Amino acid sequence: MNNRNPLFIVSLIIVCILFVLAFTTEPPLDVLSGYYNILTHHGRLISDFSSIGGVGAVLLNVSIMGFLGLLIIQLAGVSLSGPTFASIMTIIGFSFFGKTPVNTAPIVFGVYLAAKLAGKSFKNYLIIALFGTAFGPITSYVANIPGLHPLVAILLGLLLGVIVGVLLPSLAIAMLRLHEGYNLYNVGFSCGFLGIFIASLFTAVGMELSIQVEWNTTFSLILTAIIPVVSLTLIIVGISLDGIKKSIAGLRAIQKLSGRLPADFTDLVSPGAALLNAGLLGLAGSIYVMSIGAVFSGPVIGALFTIIGFGTFGKHLKNVWPVVLGVLTATLISGKSPTAPGPLLALLFGTSLAPIAGEFGIVPGLLAGILHLVLVERTVIWHGGLVLYNNGFSGGLVATFIFAVSEWIKANKKKR
Amino acid sequence: MEHKEVIVHLIGEITNYIMEQCPSRMVISLHNEADGLHLSVMDDIHRNDSELKRMEHDLNPKVRPELSEYYGTMAGTDAISAARLNLIGWQIKHGYVSRTTEGTKVDLWIGSDRFDSKKFTIKE
Repeated sequence: MNNRNPLFIVSLIIVCILFVLAFTTEPPLDVLSGYYNILTHHGRLISDFSSIGGVGAVLLNVSIMGFLGLLIIQLAGVSLSGPTFASIMTIIGFSFFGKTPVNTAPIVFGVYLAAKLAGKSFKNYLIIALFGTAFGPITSYVANIPGLHPLVAILLGLLLGVIVGVLLPSLAIAMLRLHEGYNLYNVGFSCGFLGIFIASLFTAVGMELSIQVEWNTTFSLILTAIIPVVSLTLIIVGISLDGIKKSIAGLRAIQKLSGRLPADFTDLVSPGAALLNAGLLGLAGSIYVMSIGAVFSGPVIGALFTIIGFGTFGKHLKNVWPVVLGVLTATLISGKSPTAPGPLLALLFGTSLAPIAGEFGIVPGLLAGILHLVLVERTVIWHGGLVLYNNGFSGGLVATFIFAVSEWIKANKKKR
Repeated sequence: MEHKEVIVHLIGEITNYIMEQCPSRMVISLHNEADGLHLSVMDDIHRNDSELKRMEHDLNPKVRPELSEYYGTMAGTDAISAARLNLIGWQIKHGYVSRTTEGTKVDLWIGSDRFDSKKFTIKE
């Protein structure tokens, strides 16, 4: 199905290179012992796996997760396109800080069960299953509960992961209607919503859910080079697929789209132009991170991989910059450092709101960015860091707010 | 989605599209059979060839099961923003757009794998 699909081939190549890199950076035994630390960690926000397990171990985790994601898509019989490419890049990205094969497998299985319960094929819920891995920490957090027999804790964690997976499709479909496609990370919005209930339940029974930030501040040449190299590769592949003239024309066509869900640039324009757009976004993000002097930590690389992924499914330079400027403005006005984890991740992941700028214009885009920064540091407390897509949750709330007000204005303008 | 829900959503989205050009007349015809259905929408707007072609293109996208049951559920839920025919396209067998003496006719065919529009008991 995907044998000749350029998106699939380029994703597989990225995964293979990351796997090889894992064992060239550190001795194999160090990589494996570091990987054990990652697999047994709770993974709640913000747990930088490059700091917890080391560079080699995090690259091993990332490559395994990317491979498993591609395998699931292949087994489901779905051809890789914009949304599935976005989901693979997001999985790769979040495997730098929170996702592991162990903590995400029950969720995918839960979504599979939901499909069977609804009498549908798994491929119908494939995207929800892939993005739903954002709930990974819920499995590993419960599996690490102190005071419980380890076997009981692990079984409880797996069971909760499956339950969450079963619940996700209903929520994801319903939450789409709240913002009508103006928040690109809709599953994040849904996970955040469900996360509030679960975190409240946990705290009600006395479980500890305070937010701790584990953030790698050590410079690593390999981690710094990953995103620029991947971005340049995508640019080269994109141009070679379509040729220079057609690629540039395609890129221009993409900039005219609002990006509102579901905007699959590979279908609406071409796979080559979509990859070129994705590469340019990755490069722009890398330049920003370097220019402010921030370290390419696990979460930062994760955010940039997510931006690259959604470069084929909703984000482009023209609809992203107003939101980015909004977050940056709010950061500077509130006296925060642009290199601090919260504001930096809010800026990169806040691009989830790009369709607002694409559809309603620059000012609503700026406003969305400002609101996002204000909200995102509060929302993480609500779900106790159990949901990795905290920015998707916050983005969903902001998008719902802006969409509701703009629809009301439009409806009443038309009446007059 | 349930059968009734699909029909309501599809009618909502196609009506949103048709109403964007403020027709003075719109007729919706539904022919429902056990294994499939035919939804026909006619208006009195004369559209040019490129628009008819674009409409038909959007109504007949690549088969995308991973999108139809998720993003496709947005069809017919937002009556204020611009209509999106691809949301319909993912959920139907095929769609035809043709010019009539009065305006435009959109035919949507929906059904299961066994569905064959040629076996419909009522003629178009």
